[in-house]
Amino acid sequence: MKKPKKNWLEWSVFALSLVLILATAGILIHEQLSLGEKPAEPHLELGRPVARDGYFAVPVTVVNRGDETAANVHLSVVLHLPDGAKETAEFDLPYLPRRATREAWITFRQDPRAGKLEPRVLGYQKP
Amino acid sequence: MKGETAPTVIQSLREYARGVAGGLMFSLPLLYTMEVWWTGFIAGPLRLLLYGLATFVLLLGYNHYAGLHDDSSWSEVLIDSVEELGIGLLVSVALLWLIGRISSEMSLDEIVGKIVVEAMTVAIGISVGTAQLGLSGDDEKKKETSAPNEVRFGGQLVIAACGATLFAANIAPTEEVVAIATSLSVAQLLALMLLSLLLTALILYYIEFAGSKRFVSQNGLTSVLIGTITSYATALAITAAVLWFFGRFDQVALFTALAETIVLGLASTLGASAGRLLVQ
Repeated sequence: MKKPKKNWLEWSVFALSLVLILATAGILIHEQLSLGEKPAEPHLELGRPVARDGYFAVPVTVVNRGDETAANVHLSVVLHLPDGAKETAEFDLPYLPRRATREAWITFRQDPRAGKLEPRVLGYQKP
Repeated sequence: MKGETAPTVIQSLREYARGVAGGLMFSLPLLYTMEVWWTGFIAGPLRLLLYGLATFVLLLGYNHYAGLHDDSSWSEVLIDSVEELGIGLLVSVALLWLIGRISSEMSLDEIVGKIVVEAMTVAIGISVGTAQLGLSGDDEKKKETSAPNEVRFGGQLVIAACGATLFAANIAPTEEVVAIATSLSVAQLLALMLLSLLLTALILYYIEFAGSKRFVSQNGLTSVLIGTITSYATALAITAAVLWFFGRFDQVALFTALAETIVLGLASTLGASAGRLLVQ
């Protein structure tokens, strides 16, 4: 077999490419082996409310603890005030990849610190 | 004698740059399409691995039959293919990062998925770009010396498959294929098939398309029939594989899957006929 004629640049590019390909394949194989059958499982976590000009904003973190991607994730947070009044904030995520985290903000007109916040995942689809 | 010594660094840099230009040319529409990014995390790791493997086989085939270096041994073809895949990965990392599609907050899963999906078309583009976009004396010589008698049936099929993949991969991820497929009647689907076959035959045999005389054997009606049908069949097979990869066959009836294949088959058969003649 003829020995390929290459300069140092070409050999370096080849070596780098080989490392990249093997690393990528390695990550994919590792993922495949560690991936379970657990369906998508979105989970909501609320941060500390912040007063803004005329409203209150609450940071929201959505985590998918499952091994599958969830699509059209519909989420809501209900604010229960001490006087029995309720205020609901809702939002959607087009996609929540497996084991991924997404950050969002929801807003209320009344101060969430005065009441109790109830996060809910209303529904989601298989992509 | 030329080809016996290693190329200079400048020459190789030029070749890489041509490859990157070609890679971007063929894959920019995909880098700018959100359905493609989504496929990165919807398709599981196994599907991504298979896609990578299939791309690598196509690269090997293309580099062997139509690559830049005419007298390539298999070891050179292998090295070229590894380089193209590697540069494809690098280019898609750079571009996805530049357009804000990957960031450190995302999970490794998501980042690697997006990169792999995009890198495969970039790699095929790089391969085609390196072989086709050059204008140096060497390449001119190569064009003249690759005589018609070198054209083999198997080689043509491989290059047709590359052309079909480039065309199909640009449209398959979009929602429109499903939207069209689910709205067509059987008569309309048959008409699309007929149009696909007609276009293939015209491009390969009748309208003196660039390269058709050189790469397609032109003797008699039988070769027209065989050539057209194998070209279209290759296109349909590639279409089905690409649609499956992009999740377009998930949770649909068999008839819808078939309709999708026929709808996208029109684009793929253009790639398998016109595209094939242009990329070799």
